[in-house]
Amino acid sequence: MRISVMSQMQRSFSIDLPSLIPLQLPSRRHVPHPTFWLIGFEAYLLSQTEKDGVDQMRGDELKKNALLARTLVRTTVARYQTNKEVDPRSLMFKKNVYGKPEVDWQNCKNCNHQPLHFNISHTDSLIACGVTVHVPVGIDVEDKERKIKHDVLAFAKRFYSADEVNFLATIPDPEAQRKEFIKLWTLKEAYVKALGKGFSAAPFNTFTIQSIPGTEEGYSLCKTSEVTADPLEETKKCNGEWKFAPLELADSHYAAVCIEDDQANEGAPMRVIVRKTIPFVEDQLISERIFL
Amino acid sequence: MATSFSFSISMQARVSDLSATTTRFCLQKPASIFHNGKTNLSFSQRHPIPARLAISCAVKQETVEKVSEIVKKQLSLAEDQKVTARTKFTELGADSLDTVEIVMGLEEEFGITMAEERAKEIATVQHAAELIEELIQQKTA
Repeated sequence: MRISVMSQMQRSFSIDLPSLIPLQLPSRRHVPHPTFWLIGFEAYLLSQTEKDGVDQMRGDELKKNALLARTLVRTTVARYQTNKEVDPRSLMFKKNVYGKPEVDWQNCKNCNHQPLHFNISHTDSLIACGVTVHVPVGIDVEDKERKIKHDVLAFAKRFYSADEVNFLATIPDPEAQRKEFIKLWTLKEAYVKALGKGFSAAPFNTFTIQSIPGTEEGYSLCKTSEVTADPLEETKKCNGEWKFAPLELADSHYAAVCIEDDQANEGAPMRVIVRKTIPFVEDQLISERIFL
Repeated sequence: MATSFSFSISMQARVSDLSATTTRFCLQKPASIFHNGKTNLSFSQRHPIPARLAISCAVKQETVEKVSEIVKKQLSLAEDQKVTARTKFTELGADSLDTVEIVMGLEEEFGITMAEERAKEIATVQHAAELIEELIQQKTA
């Protein structure tokens, strides 16, 4: 699975799939004003709908980020075409019935239909795009220093599951508690986005994401269902259908990636490669790790 | 004499905004639904309008303003940043965590509770105001 991430320095991270060969990037050019050159080039890549979307954003920073986000998606997905001639501009996108963006392979000229899935997330200083083969993917990033304006535990009690509230309540230091809250948020968001069925399909308080005992970064998903006989007893159904990879990016952000476990690969560990890139300009391998 | 109604319609619609899967149309002014000006009294007596169509929907300017205040506070926007009923949260740079925090702020301000699914689908200030007034009305009903 590949995640591309772009930080405010116009860098993006991308994660490679072992079975796909990334396109050769064009040779580096000397660019006197990289920001302006990149923005001009990026506007060239976008469809009219995407440009309209960018225009709707209020303020230059938000417009720029919207532009960069679409550029990242197009260039990242285009890199994983087996036909190396695919122009990122020729990619078409559509939404599934619940509103989740997908690549529209049928309407793309020169694209071979690839079982590629992608998902994107951004904060004001970092954009991440994850690409997978065969399985749906969800990704969420949050600034580590992001302040929660409400009391963290009150927020959790309102939206998270009971087990998650209990977990957060055991953390004595408020700073550490806030960080765990955010990590949990990214994991939960990543799952809902991977599911791709809209918010109502998985309200946050109907599932628990908890760390797997004995692992440092293993997380599993448990659905909670209340037994009507005794409202205090909640039965939990934990399964391995969804895999999670919590990450820290650029020392400044928490990220979480969630994929649906491929039937064929059932139980196999997930290999996650993170790259930091400037589309068409630079590519830097950050990490390659296995998540169980 | 025409009978006037104001009502709100909720529909599933494809919209380009990812965060909204439901589009609500709200008639701001009462509208006459009888074209020829005649009142069909027997109709209104024998066929009561379903409860969900009878919800009053003309949002108060006051509600819109309170919502805008809370949104501005949550997103740390400048005081002079223009936020109107039709402003979309995403246009202001709000992500899903911001939306949920805004909802918590609205719940505190108005003394209501929103179901999470509906809360997360709020895309504009108008949506929020409509939902708030609907919930307040249910509470006081």
